[in-house]
Amino acid sequence: MLELKNVYVKYGQFTAIQNVNIQVDAGEIVVLLGANGAGKSTTFRAISGLSKPVSGEIQLEDQAIGGKSPDQIVKTGIVQCAEDRKLFTQMTVQENLMMGAYVHRKKKNEMKKRFQEVYDMFPILYEKRKDTAGSLSGGQQQMLAIGRALMSKPKIMLLDEPSIGLAPMIVEQMFETIKQINREGTTILLAEQNANAALSIASKGYVFENGKIVVEGTSEELFSNEEVRRAYIGA
Amino acid sequence: MELLIQQLFNGLTIGSVYSLVALGLTLVYGILHIPNFAHGALYMVGAYVTLTMMVQGGFHYLLAIVISILVVGLISVLMERVVFHPLRDSTPIQHKVAAIGVLLFLEALAHYIWGADYQQMPTPYGQVVKVFDLTFTMQRILIVVTAIVVMILLYLFLKKTYTGATIIAMSQNREGAYLVGINANKVAMLTFFIAGALAAIGASLTSPINLVFPSMGHLVILKAFVIIIIGGMGSVPGAILGGYILGFSESLGATYLFSDYKDLIAFVLLVIILTVKPQGIFAKGGV
Repeated sequence: MLELKNVYVKYGQFTAIQNVNIQVDAGEIVVLLGANGAGKSTTFRAISGLSKPVSGEIQLEDQAIGGKSPDQIVKTGIVQCAEDRKLFTQMTVQENLMMGAYVHRKKKNEMKKRFQEVYDMFPILYEKRKDTAGSLSGGQQQMLAIGRALMSKPKIMLLDEPSIGLAPMIVEQMFETIKQINREGTTILLAEQNANAALSIASKGYVFENGKIVVEGTSEELFSNEEVRRAYIGA
Repeated sequence: MELLIQQLFNGLTIGSVYSLVALGLTLVYGILHIPNFAHGALYMVGAYVTLTMMVQGGFHYLLAIVISILVVGLISVLMERVVFHPLRDSTPIQHKVAAIGVLLFLEALAHYIWGADYQQMPTPYGQVVKVFDLTFTMQRILIVVTAIVVMILLYLFLKKTYTGATIIAMSQNREGAYLVGINANKVAMLTFFIAGALAAIGASLTSPINLVFPSMGHLVILKAFVIIIIGGMGSVPGAILGGYILGFSESLGATYLFSDYKDLIAFVLLVIILTVKPQGIFAKGGV
């Protein structure tokens, strides 16, 4: 469904990712593992069009999307929940969700349906719909970021460290939510440092180091890989 | 007492114009982080277009303003497309240099087309109205009323329409706006059009009580910068409030403190407010 072939991204002289090859099939949860600065977020930026790859190809369902602008990419059905959430902090929860449905802004019914689905999934967002996004707790902000992304009815969702900075109990809920979104038909590409939890819901994974993919395989393979265990699972 | 009320009304008049100009500046700064020095030149062109339409075109004052809004709005969009858009990935200093370049270009163009002479803009609203013991000219009442109506319309547009909300969204989180699929080019062009239109309205309203000349935008743009720094860079309510604070301070300061140094007040105010509240009165990005 989503395929990256030999993708390179540079920030000035600095090569942020090199020779990245990733394949995500429809309906899967795929996880990108790696330390801070290993290249996971840059890979996401390249897919979303926030950073232009200097070379390589990115394809969604055989349509080349590499180098397109972010708004064109959202229209193709890819949506990213960034690590720092990028919410509109002085807008209300409801306004944030409304902006999330930007690509469907002319379809009133679709918009209503989307609101219903997101509020069903996150009842707390309905309760807080009139509060500003900036006044929410970290966990609620993360829910809002995911909710906003769902409003565009994506085919594939890129989730960048959804568990970062959240209490352990909320993290567990977050992974349940991700599984639920996936069950309801959205393919998921997840970047995580919490390798244990991520691999338990993913079908396969890629391990990043210094901008390169150093190991890839199914979740079982990565779980049993000595190096991966030592570096990312800690057991 | 009468003097005070008269001066408060004058402050309201000047403040209305300042707010209109500062609003355009702050909107552009909010979404693109460009301190658009050329905004003062748009103001100046706005005055000239209205003047020309009235004197040479024979249009009614209000119709001339409408034409000016369209012309300056389009010049502003053109400026975004031709100058700032190609520079979108370059450093902030390049934006500033480019903005100053546009400012100089437009001023030279105004010199070329309209000459360097000071010109007076006629107005059909020169009548004097007496309320109790106070006298107002219709023109000044027109300035205040129009400015307030325009600001209310702008507020409703930003707050109540989807298109307006995209401007606010982009000013609060640029990449967040990209990630929900907002077309950055459309928002940039729309914002520049609004900024140009507001500058044209401000200039056309105030020109009959001031004068029209190629460098008329200098002091106004400097003060508009003071206003948006005071109000909070990128903040819409900050620009409105800041405009009126400056308008009142100037008219009262000129009357009761020192009339010769009226233009200094803006900068004294800037120093005082920034000492007390370094981020400006409002945080960035709100409506």
